[in-house]
Amino acid sequence: MELLDAHLVPAVDGVAFGLLLFVVAAGLSLAFGTAGVLNLSHGTLYAIGAYTGAELSDGTWGGLALGLAAGTAAACVAGAGLSAATAPLARRGHLAQALLTFGLALIGGDLLIQFFGADELPVRVPEALDSSVNLLGHRYPAYRLCFIVMAVLLAAFGTWVLTRTRMGAAVRAAADDPQMLAATGHSPRAVHTGVLAAAGALAGAAGVLGAPIIGPGPGTSETVLMLSLVVVVLGGLRSLWATFFAAVAVGEVQTLGVSVAPELAPYLLFAAMAAVLVLRSRFAEPTEAGAGHGSEGSGPDPVARLRGLLAGRLPGPKRPSVRLGRPPGHDRAPAWSSRLPGRAAWWQAAPLLVLLVVLIALPALLDAYSISLAGSALALGLLAISVTVLTGYAGLPTLGQTAPFAVGAYATANLADAGWTVGPVQIVLSALAAAAFAAVVGPAVIRARGTTVLMITLAIGELTGAVVNQLKSVTGGADGLVGFPATRALWGGEGMLEESELYNYALVVAVVAVALTLLVLHSPAGKLLTGTRGAEARMRASGHPVGRYLLVAHVCAGALAGVAGSLMVTVQQYLSPADVGFEIAAFALLAVVIGGTTSVIGALLGAGLIVATRDWVAGSWPGHGPLLLGVLFVATVYVLPRGLAGLRSGGPGGGGESGRPSGTTGAPGTPGAPGISGDPGGPRGSHGSDSAAAEEQPPSVPAPTRAGKVSP
Amino acid sequence: MLELTGLTAGYHGGTVLHGLDLSVPAGTVHAVVGHNGAGKTTLVHTIAGLMRPSAGTVRLDGRDVTGQPAHRIARAGIGLVPQGRRVFAGLTVDEHLRLSHRPPRRGDTARPSVWTPARVLELLPRLGERRGNRGTDLSGGEQQMLALARALLGSPRVLLLDEPTEGLAPVLVRQIDALVTTLAAEGLAVLLVSPSPAQAAACARTLTVLTSGRMALRLSGEEARADATALHAALELTAPGA
Repeated sequence: MELLDAHLVPAVDGVAFGLLLFVVAAGLSLAFGTAGVLNLSHGTLYAIGAYTGAELSDGTWGGLALGLAAGTAAACVAGAGLSAATAPLARRGHLAQALLTFGLALIGGDLLIQFFGADELPVRVPEALDSSVNLLGHRYPAYRLCFIVMAVLLAAFGTWVLTRTRMGAAVRAAADDPQMLAATGHSPRAVHTGVLAAAGALAGAAGVLGAPIIGPGPGTSETVLMLSLVVVVLGGLRSLWATFFAAVAVGEVQTLGVSVAPELAPYLLFAAMAAVLVLRSRFAEPTEAGAGHGSEGSGPDPVARLRGLLAGRLPGPKRPSVRLGRPPGHDRAPAWSSRLPGRAAWWQAAPLLVLLVVLIALPALLDAYSISLAGSALALGLLAISVTVLTGYAGLPTLGQTAPFAVGAYATANLADAGWTVGPVQIVLSALAAAAFAAVVGPAVIRARGTTVLMITLAIGELTGAVVNQLKSVTGGADGLVGFPATRALWGGEGMLEESELYNYALVVAVVAVALTLLVLHSPAGKLLTGTRGAEARMRASGHPVGRYLLVAHVCAGALAGVAGSLMVTVQQYLSPADVGFEIAAFALLAVVIGGTTSVIGALLGAGLIVATRDWVAGSWPGHGPLLLGVLFVATVYVLPRGLAGLRSGGPGGGGESGRPSGTTGAPGTPGAPGISGDPGGPRGSHGSDSAAAEEQPPSVPAPTRAGKVSP
Repeated sequence: MLELTGLTAGYHGGTVLHGLDLSVPAGTVHAVVGHNGAGKTTLVHTIAGLMRPSAGTVRLDGRDVTGQPAHRIARAGIGLVPQGRRVFAGLTVDEHLRLSHRPPRRGDTARPSVWTPARVLELLPRLGERRGNRGTDLSGGEQQMLALARALLGSPRVLLLDEPTEGLAPVLVRQIDALVTTLAAEGLAVLLVSPSPAQAAACARTLTVLTSGRMALRLSGEEARADATALHAALELTAPGA
């Protein structure tokens, strides 16, 4: 009883916080679950509401009502605008839309700071509520109790609309099969707009009412987005009740958890999330559970089980061949061309060679500051390549590669601190640490597909960030690490201090890492990944342990990110949590998108462009780095649907599989790289007006025959 | 009355349907027969507005609806029963009926008959027993009934049936065939797409054989019922891959 008494206030606070998160997360879940838009600018919509509310609140009921109306309307309009912005991208899948919203979030955040200033705005609640009430012997702010009531009403109303009305039925039908909704005379486009506007209104209303709880400030959008993403991941998209309980749980962790166990609180979210991910993958996705583990004979995967049975009966069937259903006559050509570099191979390698020459010549061309930037760009480039491997090849779009990146970075910094300053040792140990980390979190990542991966990896990245902030003895907490000894390039050398030295070291490491990556991607292993991404069910049916491939890819990509982290620490000689934060993860993904999702060189160029934009161009317009990057994001998504790599092979909209570095990577008969135009999560839930109409079309038509007949 | 003239459609890179002319007068069944890949579903999707034709026109009682978005075409009076039923997984039968119920606008008297959920349940009583069940909890036959109910509740003038008996037991096939005849007798123009020449001949006043997206043969139902040789010949001679 005493325990309850002591923690009553934080517990009630947790309910208020949780309900706030529920209203926000319900909008996010609605937009994603039914309109297919993973809205990474959802936090910005909340911030719009919060700023408007704070600006209009003057301590009267009228001020609150006016703020509520204006904030809700503003966020509602922004949501409708978001619908108009994402609708043209609907055919290009969820990822393109998610990226667009991220770009818009960057722009919106910058504009809000422009408009309302960089300080947190004070929020006044109506005077009638600006008092305390007696709650079982404790004084408790009346506003929060009132907020709890309003949030419950809002949640109940939303639930009623969604589950009991014809409009709600149309929304759920649109999530299920927009074409058939259209065939019953309802415009899916109108539903799409309505859903996003409603989601915006929810976020805006939550922002106005919740401003006294999560106030408007520069970090608001990100905090709100992250917490509501955690809620959505925990609650799943299937039921509002699950979202509700997840939201209250997160709210309690953030308030009651902090008051009961301040050291453990940051991990509680992680623990809850890990538990949910593991539980859900075991019970809700049984078809994939077996593939992740080694044993093929006993897992619940029917194909694996069947294979195990067959393997026991039939006389020694060979290991599944790497060739993916390729007619035997075609077998020789790709093998031949990969051994003897033909003209195509040279043409393909040419940009890489040109880039290498430029990179080698760079120290002679640039000043010291720019050289150090170039070194950072190489590190970010490697990180981007690891994202490419996952996004473009394995079909796992990730926002969480900063996690293994951070592991590598902190490993190197700590190694250096302990006196292990030899470069190759740092690199290898960092890669191993990052790979081990990737192996641990991998099973949670590889079970999901498409945008769900985006959410899970985002959560992993964020929670790694929380751990970084918490484990002060290893990471230095928010202060970061400085003053560790410089890395020595080789045994017996001196510590590198000169920018050009560091750059050359970074270049050598990057070249080796890129060469290794290219070698692996162009080997049969790369083809297995391509096949998995393109036609997973077919790969499974052909007897490939798909889960294992993806796990190996995830571990390798993690190692590569670890190398990138190590390199970054060596080049900049300090390490702060911001270097491994969400922004960097988003930049890496942007670099990949700019480059074209399957292009290694594109990822490097994209990283270079981003570093140049952030540190160079923005230098002449200080404080507007996010705005520029946001514009870059948006422009890339619209103008370069296949990234820079798309320019090379016929430009955007040039049809066919241009994102792929030509014939040696994918066997004929496997679908080509989708660029960001493809939905790695498969065609379900796509709002393209003819996605299902393509049923009669073969899923993959090799490029040369594209122009001719379609039916085989 | 549904009229197609020179309808041409395809997917990026290839044309599937080549200049098809076809008309379905009100109160009749027109069957389109063809093998897999002949372009049957493409035809249905193009009429329903799920795909845009690259050439040709679709007219509904003389009104050009070519290239309009699917929901407009549906409102104009074209009901679609798609291949594979495609009922909404998350909606109950009741919600399906409520969502699809769209009474014709006042003054729109060209509808052969006006459907309400009650009337649909009279025609398809089985659905009445499953009103609380979700779409995917239904059996294949019930899903087909639900897909038909969904199309009827828009009180269409034209009904597009894309392989409505696919995967159903013979007794259900006969039931569906009877329903098709009943509905046509009410004044609906029915376009029935089927891989089965027997079903087509049994229901239709006119048959069109589609091969590789082109009309290979057109004959009347009586001709087909009297002597199926020509029909079979048209289907088998040009069978792709045969």
